Amino acid sequence: MSITVELTYEMSKALGTRRVEVEGAATVADVVRLTRARFGERAADFERHTRVAAVSVNGVLVTHGRGLRTAVADGDLVMFVKASAGG
Amino acid sequence: MIRGYAGRVLDVDLAAQAFEFRPLDEETARLYLGGKGYGARLLYDLTPAGIDPLGPANPLIFATGPLNGSIAPQSNRFAVVCKSPLTGAIGNAACGGSFAYGLKRAGVDVLIVRNQSAAAIRLEIDGDRSQVAFIDASALWGKGTGATQEALGRKKHHAVIGPAGEHLVLFAGIVSNERIAARTGVGAVMGSKRLKAVTAGGSRRLEMDDEQAFKAYTKWAGAMFRRHPVLGERLKRVGTSGIVSTTNPRNILPTRNFKYGHHPDALNVSGEFMADHALTGVKSSCIHCPVTCGRDVEIEGVGRVKGPEYETVALLGTNLDLPDLKRVSEWNHLADDLGMDTISLGAVLGFAMELRERGLLDAGVRFGDPAGVADLIEDIAYRRGLGNDLADGVRRMSEKYGGRPFAMHVKGLELSAYDPRGSFAQGVEYATSNRGGCHVQGASMYMESTGPLTIDPQSLRLKADLPVVMQNLACAINSMVLCIFTTYGMMPGFIHALSPYSRTHRALTAIFEHSGPLLRLALGAKVAPILWFEKWLTYITGERFTAGHLQEIGARIFNLERMYNLREGLTAADDTLPDRMLHEPTFPGMTSGHPLGLLLPRYYKLRGWDRNGVPTPRTLKRLQVRI
Repeated sequence: MSITVELTYEMSKALGTRRVEVEGAATVADVVRLTRARFGERAADFERHTRVAAVSVNGVLVTHGRGLRTAVADGDLVMFVKASAGG
Repeated sequence: MIRGYAGRVLDVDLAAQAFEFRPLDEETARLYLGGKGYGARLLYDLTPAGIDPLGPANPLIFATGPLNGSIAPQSNRFAVVCKSPLTGAIGNAACGGSFAYGLKRAGVDVLIVRNQSAAAIRLEIDGDRSQVAFIDASALWGKGTGATQEALGRKKHHAVIGPAGEHLVLFAGIVSNERIAARTGVGAVMGSKRLKAVTAGGSRRLEMDDEQAFKAYTKWAGAMFRRHPVLGERLKRVGTSGIVSTTNPRNILPTRNFKYGHHPDALNVSGEFMADHALTGVKSSCIHCPVTCGRDVEIEGVGRVKGPEYETVALLGTNLDLPDLKRVSEWNHLADDLGMDTISLGAVLGFAMELRERGLLDAGVRFGDPAGVADLIEDIAYRRGLGNDLADGVRRMSEKYGGRPFAMHVKGLELSAYDPRGSFAQGVEYATSNRGGCHVQGASMYMESTGPLTIDPQSLRLKADLPVVMQNLACAINSMVLCIFTTYGMMPGFIHALSPYSRTHRALTAIFEHSGPLLRLALGAKVAPILWFEKWLTYITGERFTAGHLQEIGARIFNLERMYNLREGLTAADDTLPDRMLHEPTFPGMTSGHPLGLLLPRYYKLRGWDRNGVPTPRTLKRLQVRI
């Protein structure tokens, strides 16, 4: 089961890629854990970038549902979301 | 005269080349503050129904408010009000830059420009001598907004149009410094008057009721702004286009004429990308503003120019399937110099691209291909070839060439860059906004889709309530006149530091989601000035302004605008969204689009309107809206 994870700009800079594929995830928590593993020794970077980042699954913010326990399915697009403001 | 106002309205007749200074009406100032509120009252009173927006009977009203001319952060904006040639409804736009400061220094609260000049003309207002010079502008006619201001002198305060305004492009704007009163075609109305520029200056000081308290509080508020995670940090660091990092993963970033809400390469036009790859400086483009959301970028062969804002990178970038910051910056600079609204421009280009994709019209541009875009932008500004049709906006294009289901406008005003299918309250705001599909007439999206603490954007809870209070607040803010970004400061800084999975965050979200009656009660209270703009208004004018007062004033302005539109023949049927937004799902589990039909009845009820969307006599009486 393959999930595409789209990273924030800062996470992308740290990993050198905009998105990663993770296998074997059943929930958002799994996706976060597997993405974190990609950072290897730079796990501190991952923590820094995700501390206030929410997660959406196919555009739907998981915090309004089951949060990190939200189930994911093959082909889902999981994205890290930064709160912001603009005009 | 109430403090904070210069106390003068300047009434100019271009045809007669005559002018008159007369006293500002204090009662109107008390009821409508200034800015777009005072302008709406004047427009309603000065014009009968059914005037030609590009004819001599349409006045062009420049209005400041009691905060303008002060050092309050984010103040010094002016509003322009007229009948919109794009929508046929009330038109208004707000602008930063320095013209508001110039008008106030000239001792002018409101400038009314009537009739039309026979030839290109410009005005110079000398407030100290109470004189207005009518000056031949034929040498400036045809020049871009940059060259025009350069020729008039960068140290003075101007409002100018570019070639788009001269050629009556229905989404032309009015420019001050590098900022633009962009929406609803106010620049076309200025062009119809053959008025190239207005310059204002003088040495009048703003008189305040309690200057000492104002200064002390402003010092504190300035420090609060500088510490705030959005106003003091994020907007300074990545500008408004930093919000791409929010709207794209939340599936509300316009992509391919709003067909989708997510673009895989959107980060290429994000504020973070701009900061790393294109930024040559940050600045405060509006006088006395510490937020510095303005960006500078370098364009080859042109030099250092204003960088694109979020709306522009979305509408001219992902919406065209062209997330290329270099090109978007070039097109943004071109549109600014020609004097055009980049929201409407991006929407009409996206619409033309979809027409081509469906075999309905070939305007020479297609999704994902930059070829021909710059040429078409110029053709629009000069109304050449098919550019002449695009210059009339999306609604008229769809009436001529078909494609109404994917014509992205409300009441004729092209939609801005928040897809309402993922932001239901924002959709209600778009549908009911008096000037059409615009995001700064309330900005509910911050509370449901982009801010650090958001209600579920796709439940029905609060989705009719939130737009009412946000629209009222925005009406008041746009009448002070203050930047709508000031509302971002209402979200306390500590919330930005919370993990979205923390108990505190979850508890606050739950409280917010169930706060409907509480929200109205809290915002309706007239207890004491609490927020910075309530305190500034109180210290400056000497009158007491609280959240409740501002909600009441905002509701009054909103209802007056509504009555103007009804008088012009608009009906509840115009309170709608494009078919694509109502019927095409973009989220998993969604079977249709935005549930507007479920929300409008409650919205009307909360507004005190009948089932046809008409304010009841009781509502008008309660709000003191004289019709």
